[in-house]
Amino acid sequence: MQMDSKGKLIPVIEGRKICKRFSSKRGEKTVLEDIDLSVSENEFVVLFGPGQCGKTTLMNILSGLDVPTSGTVYCDGEIVQRPAPERGVVFQAMALFPWLTVRGNVAYGLKARGVPRDEWMERSDYFIKLVGLEGFEDAYINRLSGGMKQRVGIARAYCNDPKVLFMDEPFSALDAQTRYMMQDEIARIWETEKKTVVFVTNNIEEAVFLADRIILLTNCPSHVKKEYRIDLPRPRDYTSRDFLLLRDEITKQMDSTL
Amino acid sequence: MMDTKKLKQLAKDSVYGLISVCVFLCIWAFGVRTSDIGIVMPGPGKVIYEFIQSFFVPIGKYTMPGHILWSLYRVLPAYIVGSVLGIVIGIAMGWFRYVNSFLRPLYEMIRPIPPIAWIPISIVWFGIGEGSKWFIIFLAAFVPVVLNSISGAKSVDPLLLKCGEMLGADKKYIFRTIVLPYSVPYIFSGLQVALSASWATVVAAEMIRSSEGVGWIIISSMDTNNVTQSLVGIVGIGIVGFILAVMMRELEGRLCRWTVREN
Amino acid sequence: MDKRKIISAGLAILSIVLFIFIWYLCTDVLELVPARTLPSPEKVLDSFIKKFHDKNPDGGTLIEHTLASLQVALTGYLWAIIIGVPLGIFMAWNRNVDKFVRPLFDLLKPIPGVAWIPLMIVIFGIGIKSKAAVVFCSAVVPCILNSYTGIKQSKEVHMWVARTFGATRLQMLWTVAIPTALPHIMTGIRVALSSAWVAIVAAELLGSTKGLGFMIQQSRGIYRTDIIIVGMLAIGICGIILSIILSFIEHLVVKGRK
Repeated sequence: MQMDSKGKLIPVIEGRKICKRFSSKRGEKTVLEDIDLSVSENEFVVLFGPGQCGKTTLMNILSGLDVPTSGTVYCDGEIVQRPAPERGVVFQAMALFPWLTVRGNVAYGLKARGVPRDEWMERSDYFIKLVGLEGFEDAYINRLSGGMKQRVGIARAYCNDPKVLFMDEPFSALDAQTRYMMQDEIARIWETEKKTVVFVTNNIEEAVFLADRIILLTNCPSHVKKEYRIDLPRPRDYTSRDFLLLRDEITKQMDSTL
Repeated sequence: MMDTKKLKQLAKDSVYGLISVCVFLCIWAFGVRTSDIGIVMPGPGKVIYEFIQSFFVPIGKYTMPGHILWSLYRVLPAYIVGSVLGIVIGIAMGWFRYVNSFLRPLYEMIRPIPPIAWIPISIVWFGIGEGSKWFIIFLAAFVPVVLNSISGAKSVDPLLLKCGEMLGADKKYIFRTIVLPYSVPYIFSGLQVALSASWATVVAAEMIRSSEGVGWIIISSMDTNNVTQSLVGIVGIGIVGFILAVMMRELEGRLCRWTVREN
Repeated sequence: MDKRKIISAGLAILSIVLFIFIWYLCTDVLELVPARTLPSPEKVLDSFIKKFHDKNPDGGTLIEHTLASLQVALTGYLWAIIIGVPLGIFMAWNRNVDKFVRPLFDLLKPIPGVAWIPLMIVIFGIGIKSKAAVVFCSAVVPCILNSYTGIKQSKEVHMWVARTFGATRLQMLWTVAIPTALPHIMTGIRVALSSAWVAIVAAELLGSTKGLGFMIQQSRGIYRTDIIIVGMLAIGICGIILSIILSFIEHLVVKGRK
């Protein structure tokens, strides 16, 4: 972790006064309003909020996929303007390359940056194994199931060794059973390969299960309503008393913001 | 392994196909026997017999395979050159904004003119030899391939492009590993259209000016009033056109396996 | 953003100007190519205007030729729509018909329309009928093919919905299958138009006493290259106008269905 000249810790990701407005023929719509937030190293932060509250827009701005109307995002003290390999993204729509095999997808970033063959083979092998896709290295994407596809997306983002990992509702397209499995999986991967993660979801259970900290957003125009630090021991249990209490409390807060 | 269910379906389909072709031939034979069309039209038996005959007994200077080879010799070189150039220009137009602005007006000038309409002027420019035929086949292939390549490069999913950038690829690498592969299915549908257009055009070109080729078989039948020969030519053209299309589809299946879904 | 648009427009104008300038330079100024091979742009424009009222050298003004071509093309084209579209729908809707007619159709499909010319002349004699029949043969294929795929693609779910409401098969065809297939059918009709236009030019090149195809073929014999180019331009312009009219009609028909 870096420090600035006064010896203060610089957060890995910091957003200051982020606003986003979309203008259309019907007029302007403010989606994000004055959002301040920061994420420190190896923290698992969940952006949580109701349906169409602009969580994804916020994540896109933080990762550099989108630009804010006003306000600034800093990554390790530098201004974020465009997507870059320091900020890996796991997309809701998966955005895998169908013309590449599993290995081709996972190793794409390393190959693009000219990493020697031995190294990308080794790294991609490791992460394919980590997400449990051993034996599917040479399969094309369209032969995989939904859950397997998103595993490829996660492995691809991890393999590129980003400073921060953004995950935009990565499991929303999966069925409930697979979703639970993938939540376990992501918690396990995060334990083995510590990373700073910003995770977007509208599923409260998922949020409490995964997060170190939950940032609760309000409905449009959204701003930060409240933050929760989750100190439950890992691995967490969906049915434990503390888990359910927390879950209820946050749900109540969210309902009143609707 | 092909499972028995698929095999059964295939067998069923081919039986239906066979029956339908037989019924068609019977109606044809019956129609020719009983109505006035019989005066000018030969029956199916005669056409099939003559078609087989044409492999051994020359029509004009060559047998059927000879004529087919002549026509293919006119189509393939021009088709390949037209396609390659079409892919390069189409992708460039679809991807680079300013290339598109510069070349678009010129392309829009040739696009609406059917290749067949170029025949007279190409004869003036290149003489009555192979040059003029190659020129119009080139156009017949070039125009649709450009169109499809443009739409391929234009419709690349922006999310995938951002994803490439996010993974640290530079512009060149993104072009090579995302834009090009994304356009491949579009290019292939252009190649498919171009192939059948080229085949139709060579037939027309040979009908207008030539002394061999499948188009010539048909047109020379007009001079001698030999309807059977004309039908034999049509059968030949249809079969070659069919084989070319199947080969193209096979090639597409081989080259972009990732578009083929299971089930 | 605006700057880019201005550059684009400038490049477009530049390309046309450059094209005409080079053409002009090669012909009138430097006389690199003989006028017989390529007349100057000035000469072509002159002939284009003159041809509107001059019957020489092929016995008809530009308008007469155009109308002659249009008449035949549209006759064959309309017949192709009237027969092709219902046939395609019928083939896709009725399984038994599909099984029998489809193989036959697959056999006839790869035969280009021009190849039928001699046979049609034998059956219908020289004149409008045989040419219209050739146009019909070319245009009917895309009509059948697209109507067929359109109907085949109407969603099973929609069918089930219709069935649960107790619709008869005929009602299902009218209220579900055809409306869903309409965009496909219109595509077929559009493709058929350009096939029809190509076919008529080919038919006229081969044997005719009127029409644009005849005009350019005739001019080749007497080396009036200027009139060939005028004819080609007229063919291109007519094609464009026809497709504009068709997209206008399409807009009226498909309106509100999307």
